[in-house]
Amino acid sequence: MTIDKGVSGSGTAEASPSPSGGGDGKKPPDGPRGSGSPIEFRLDAASGVPTYLQLVQQVEHALRLGYLKPGDQLPKVRDAVASLAINPNTVLKAYRELETKGLASGRPGQGTFIEATLSQVALPELATLHRSLLGWLASADGAGLDEDGIVALFSSALRDFFKGRDRPADRRADRKGGTEGVA
Amino acid sequence: MNVIETSGLGKRYRQTWALRECTLAIPAGHVTALVGPNGAGKTTLLNLGVGLATPTAGVVTVLGGVPAGSPAALDGIAFVAQDMPLYKPLSVADMLHLTRNLNRRFDQGYALARLGELGIPLKRKAGKLSGGQQAQLALTLALARRPRLLVLDEPLANLDPLARHDFMATVMATVAEHGMSVVLSSHVLAELERVADYLILVSGGRVQVADEVDSLLSTHRILTGPASDARTREELTVVHERRAEAQAHLLVRTRGPADPVPLGWEAHPVSLEELVLAYLREPGAAALPGPARTSNAEPTEVTR
Amino acid sequence: MTAMATPGQPAAEASLRPVPWRGMAWVSWRQHRTTLAGLLAVLGVAGVYLYITGLDLRHDVAAFGEMFVANGSGKMGMTLTAALFQVLPALIGAFVGAPVLARELETGTFRYTWTQGFGRERWAAAKLAQLAVAVTLVAGAFGFLFSWCYEAIIGVRQGLSPLMAITFDLRGVAFAAWTLVAFAIGVLAGILIRRVVPAMFATLAAWSGLAFVAGAYLRPHYETPLVTSGFNLPSAAWVISQRWTLHGKPVSLTTVSQVLQKIGAKEVAPGVFGPTGPASGPTSGTSAAFGSGGAWRSAPTYLLHHGFTQLTSYQPGSRFWPFQWIEGGWLLALSLLLIAATIWLVRRHAA
Repeated sequence: MTIDKGVSGSGTAEASPSPSGGGDGKKPPDGPRGSGSPIEFRLDAASGVPTYLQLVQQVEHALRLGYLKPGDQLPKVRDAVASLAINPNTVLKAYRELETKGLASGRPGQGTFIEATLSQVALPELATLHRSLLGWLASADGAGLDEDGIVALFSSALRDFFKGRDRPADRRADRKGGTEGVA
Repeated sequence: MNVIETSGLGKRYRQTWALRECTLAIPAGHVTALVGPNGAGKTTLLNLGVGLATPTAGVVTVLGGVPAGSPAALDGIAFVAQDMPLYKPLSVADMLHLTRNLNRRFDQGYALARLGELGIPLKRKAGKLSGGQQAQLALTLALARRPRLLVLDEPLANLDPLARHDFMATVMATVAEHGMSVVLSSHVLAELERVADYLILVSGGRVQVADEVDSLLSTHRILTGPASDARTREELTVVHERRAEAQAHLLVRTRGPADPVPLGWEAHPVSLEELVLAYLREPGAAALPGPARTSNAEPTEVTR
Repeated sequence: MTAMATPGQPAAEASLRPVPWRGMAWVSWRQHRTTLAGLLAVLGVAGVYLYITGLDLRHDVAAFGEMFVANGSGKMGMTLTAALFQVLPALIGAFVGAPVLARELETGTFRYTWTQGFGRERWAAAKLAQLAVAVTLVAGAFGFLFSWCYEAIIGVRQGLSPLMAITFDLRGVAFAAWTLVAFAIGVLAGILIRRVVPAMFATLAAWSGLAFVAGAYLRPHYETPLVTSGFNLPSAAWVISQRWTLHGKPVSLTTVSQVLQKIGAKEVAPGVFGPTGPASGPTSGTSAAFGSGGAWRSAPTYLLHHGFTQLTSYQPGSRFWPFQWIEGGWLLALSLLLIAATIWLVRRHAA
């Protein structure tokens, strides 16, 4: 996936790339295939992250960066499987997870389509969070933690935080038509 | 429906039992990995399933109760043996013709399209194709029969990484499109981890593990903690342990991911490869569902 | 939710129609066309030779008469040719029959073929039947050609009986039957031994053993032999055994030879006598009464005079066709049995 914009969340308030087929090179090709998916999956076999989770994360990442918009189709199961050589159930599991999070939904006979975007956190709020994080990092560094130690501590706290909560999808999904609960 | 179901299955060649007391129920709609060391009995089990061998003891049925090797079984199952046997003097087109004549169903259009995509010339003799091309030819012939179950015996053994990827991609695409079930064996687990959702571990002629991959991964974990904590160890179902002076790693069976972690211990998820290695090191341990289940089986038995 | 595609194949039928037999026609032909072509080539070359020889012989007979040709080079040529052709059925069995199953097992292609929908027993039955018929027909044509070629001289005189081993099994239905049984032995050897070259050798050995037993012990007794005490046998007769009696009691050949020697004679062929040494007169007195020089010519009378009788068991040449049918019959039955056994072994084979 070529990335034309900055990867970090610093400053990108747009939810989508330029409307008229500009820059990202991943627009569906015109021609007999017609509605292909704007994105393609990749697999990091050595990452230790379960495959289906990688796919979920890639979709969410694409949403954040604007490669995917509501209404776009996710890769057909068959195509994803043919290019990655993975079990179709893995792709289905990833799509189910995305449905549960309210980000996508399947249309029988047609495929799976994006239904919502990830909410964008406003720029000032991002800046505040960034600053407070730097403060915490300074304390951790002062306490004697090195980079790996900080990462380990942070990851553990992250896990504990989300374990104790309801599904994170509840507060994240922005449905187009309203605020009813997740299907 | 179970694509392969066995009960007390055993096969003896002369004086040695290649397979013993094998009771399995492989559900349909899955890609099943059959793993184990060389000579463990994987090929024997597959041969019994496709009707190339008959049992010395026990029963094997396929595709929902059909006797293995019967005409209905032969019709619904396509088998690609180790070393991809093909008639080497025959051309690719001849192999297509032969397969078409020997089967009820043959999707000639698919076969030709697929071979065209792969760039395999129809006029070339099968023996003159490269290893990867022969594998793809054997696979194309098998898939063109539109089987309900595809059985592959060590299909990746002689293939380079690209050929391996293409081979498995083809198989998975057909699974996605037609809901075909797959049983494939390998002595290298890493090749199968991405594709398998059901795992069977065969070692020393016996089945040690037979369960859905998701279930296995969610009911096993690694606990790391003090080596001196013997009591915790006794309370848990430990499959395998590795111990140093101060620290011990235990591979334990739990009832699920929500099972509490004992005080003073850390829990880590276990990879499929770690799990398989642990069971291989403990020949007495097993993780098997009950006999003749027809759906997701809860593992009921762990023995040490 | 994206549903996984439903299977593209039809649901299982309660009773499956078998895959049509005719599919195997192309399969058998394609797999064995080289072998069959080789068979046709070899028999074709031999056939051309027979045809040319046959024309030559007919020409000679027209010019010089039967007896001349039958006593001269014609006979020599036939004996040589026939001896050579004796091995043909065994070779056909080894090269056409043995590899059929042995090669599948040796190369491992049976793991492919026996898991196709056709089914291994039907596959074996179809292939073996087709090859058996092809081989038998080609061999039958060859046997007919051999008969045609040498018909002028067979049976014309003593020593060229149509029943004698060297030509009996190359003519009529016998050649086709011997080729068929060689093929049957070959395929059975193939499934038992599972390797091509050893199966070929086993086929050659087994067939040779059978041919020897049939020729030496079975064929002479298809019908009870006729016995005669005369010295002049019909020209086409096939002598099986001879024994001498003296005044009704059996007597050994040595005794007879000793008596014959006194007149300088010996039996060179059934009922035929000749001098023991160069044509010079005998020295002992008894023979003097019979004259010198050509005394051996009167050996038959001499023996009769002294109470000797020779009893000859033989089969008359007229029994040629009955014998052909008998031999062809049991060879056919044996072939069918061997092929049936082969198919049964295919059924039982475990990888």
